Amino acid sequence: MMSRIVRVVVVVGLLGSHSVFAEDTPSDIIDRVDRILRGQSSHGVVSMEVVTEHWERNFVMELWSLGTEYSLVRITAPAKEVGTSTLKVEDNIWNYLPKVDRTIKIPASMMMGSWMGSHFTNDDLVKESRLIENYEIEISFDGVRDGTEVWELRLTPKPEAPVVWASIEFQVRKSDRMPQWGRYYDENDAIVRVLTYSEFRSFDGRLVPTVMDMSPRNKPGERTTIRYQELEFDIDVNEAFFSLQRLKRAVR
Amino acid sequence: MSFSPWRRIGWRNLWRNPSRTLITALGLAVGYFAVVVIVSWTDGLTAEMIENSTGLLMGQIQVHSREYRPDRSIYDTIGGRDGTNVEQLVGKLVNDPDIKAGAARVYASGLVSSGESTVAATFMGVDHAAESAVSRILNGLEDGVLPTVNANELLVGTGMMKKLGITVGDEVVVVASAADGSLGNDLFHVVGVYRTGLTDLDGSYAILPLESLQTLVALESGRIHEIGLAATMTTDPWLAPEVAARLAETLRPFGLNIVVEPWTLLQPQMASYVQLVESWHFIIIGVVFTVAIFGVANTMLIATFERRREFAVMLALGTVPSRVLFAVLWEALILGVFSLLVGLVITLPLIFWFQSNPLDLSLFFDDFTMFGALMRPTFRIQFNGTIAVWAGLALLLTVLVAAIYPAGRASRIPPADTLSGL
Repeated sequence: MMSRIVRVVVVVGLLGSHSVFAEDTPSDIIDRVDRILRGQSSHGVVSMEVVTEHWERNFVMELWSLGTEYSLVRITAPAKEVGTSTLKVEDNIWNYLPKVDRTIKIPASMMMGSWMGSHFTNDDLVKESRLIENYEIEISFDGVRDGTEVWELRLTPKPEAPVVWASIEFQVRKSDRMPQWGRYYDENDAIVRVLTYSEFRSFDGRLVPTVMDMSPRNKPGERTTIRYQELEFDIDVNEAFFSLQRLKRAVR
Repeated sequence: MSFSPWRRIGWRNLWRNPSRTLITALGLAVGYFAVVVIVSWTDGLTAEMIENSTGLLMGQIQVHSREYRPDRSIYDTIGGRDGTNVEQLVGKLVNDPDIKAGAARVYASGLVSSGESTVAATFMGVDHAAESAVSRILNGLEDGVLPTVNANELLVGTGMMKKLGITVGDEVVVVASAADGSLGNDLFHVVGVYRTGLTDLDGSYAILPLESLQTLVALESGRIHEIGLAATMTTDPWLAPEVAARLAETLRPFGLNIVVEPWTLLQPQMASYVQLVESWHFIIIGVVFTVAIFGVANTMLIATFERRREFAVMLALGTVPSRVLFAVLWEALILGVFSLLVGLVITLPLIFWFQSNPLDLSLFFDDFTMFGALMRPTFRIQFNGTIAVWAGLALLLTVLVAAIYPAGRASRIPPADTLSGL
């Protein structure tokens, strides 16, 4: 009884101190960034705009996720790609191609390949959710940038970690723990691509960045912008939902 | 001619001890044989490497859009954008007397999948008839037939077939990033399989009709990535840069945004390797004949020492020492010419025999690859006339250098001391 009272007091005390977040270690901050758009489980509708030197395409996709290991994405527009879906279970990715009614498993060698022609890679789908497992994380900057209190965190791969980036940097706003940008570096410490988060809004009672913009540095003017249109958390799905049968079938 | 008696003396002296002369001559002849055979063999190896590398798929010369290499972007095509008519362009290129044939090619990258297995693939779209005249890859399929146009048929290599666990006749899913940003995908039947022996080609290339690939990746017909050119049979592969430069010059008036590149630019590491090997030729000559110098010098030293009394008599009778020196050098030179003749007699017939009947070593060695070229394990010989001449000159130089010291000693023999029996 006594201990419970103490715990409540401590929690209330922490809440009242300077932040609503009890955790402040570098890896907790990154873990939050990782899970920000997922929750325990999630379901959403996003639009994706891909701009390259040669063409521009707009997609609308519906997506489901459970934890960090399960996700399913189904394209609902444009007409040419309707029904094309991607299932991710742990380290594996399958694509369903409605035109030929076949499912193909993406081989490990294609993990750096583009996902649906965008500037996101297959690897982004698989590995992004493992940041705290694969990287050593330290705060490289703690202070004010452009009038906002931020942390900047440097992620360097743990020895033997199966990752492709030499390092990643994230800037996270202190006031609400919202990520501002992520920068991906190659082994020459040159920025390869920049992921920018913006338009922070509440969906289903959670504050999230609703726009993510990925720009490769070696192709100026090219970008992929993902915009969340609907997002709900803690939906009723389990592991069985993320099956190859589901990948082929129109959901709902 | 005052020289002639000395020449005769030299010649006769050689045959005073015929076995010694023959052994020395044979030593030099074998040295000559070794140099010419080693050089001709390495030349055979490099010729094989160049032929296989250019003949299998590459072609001796390739034509690309200026931006195509090294990124090989699907958008950097010949035709389409700049309005070039590919057929006319190939026609112009093949018009050159040194060019035998030309073939347009389209490339794309993607995946080939069957059941649970998926492999990354480079798709190559070709026109069979034209391609067969440029490269060998379509000739002699391991199994099956060539794909027909617009029938969703393709060829894969043995490696890919094994990785996918399929056989000829099976259906595969083909996925490729298309030029319009979409994901080109379709079902294809594997109608044939090729084996080149090159892991890369056999494991990751899939060959299909040019039109089928253009459709799959949403490229307008008339847009291609590469024109492979084969030179006529008689053209030395080292003339490719010259021919390429001439072709580029021919095309200049049309103001096309294209480059003509010979295999030496497409496979620079192979070209520099061959040049490196050629510089070794002279090192081989140097090593073999430097060793020979000491052998010949020893023989000459003994031969002149045996005749020290004769030299003493000549000098005592008033022969100028330089004459004695020249006499010995003449003797050496005659020995050299004789050795060279023996060398040619044992070398040339063997070389020409092996050149036309390459020894098959496949019992002892498997096929192997060098710089991405498949090598057959044959003892292939390519006679190198230049090196044969250089080795002959080196042989003559060897005997002269070897004779300088013995000749000098002979010309400085003290007549009185020698004749008095010391």
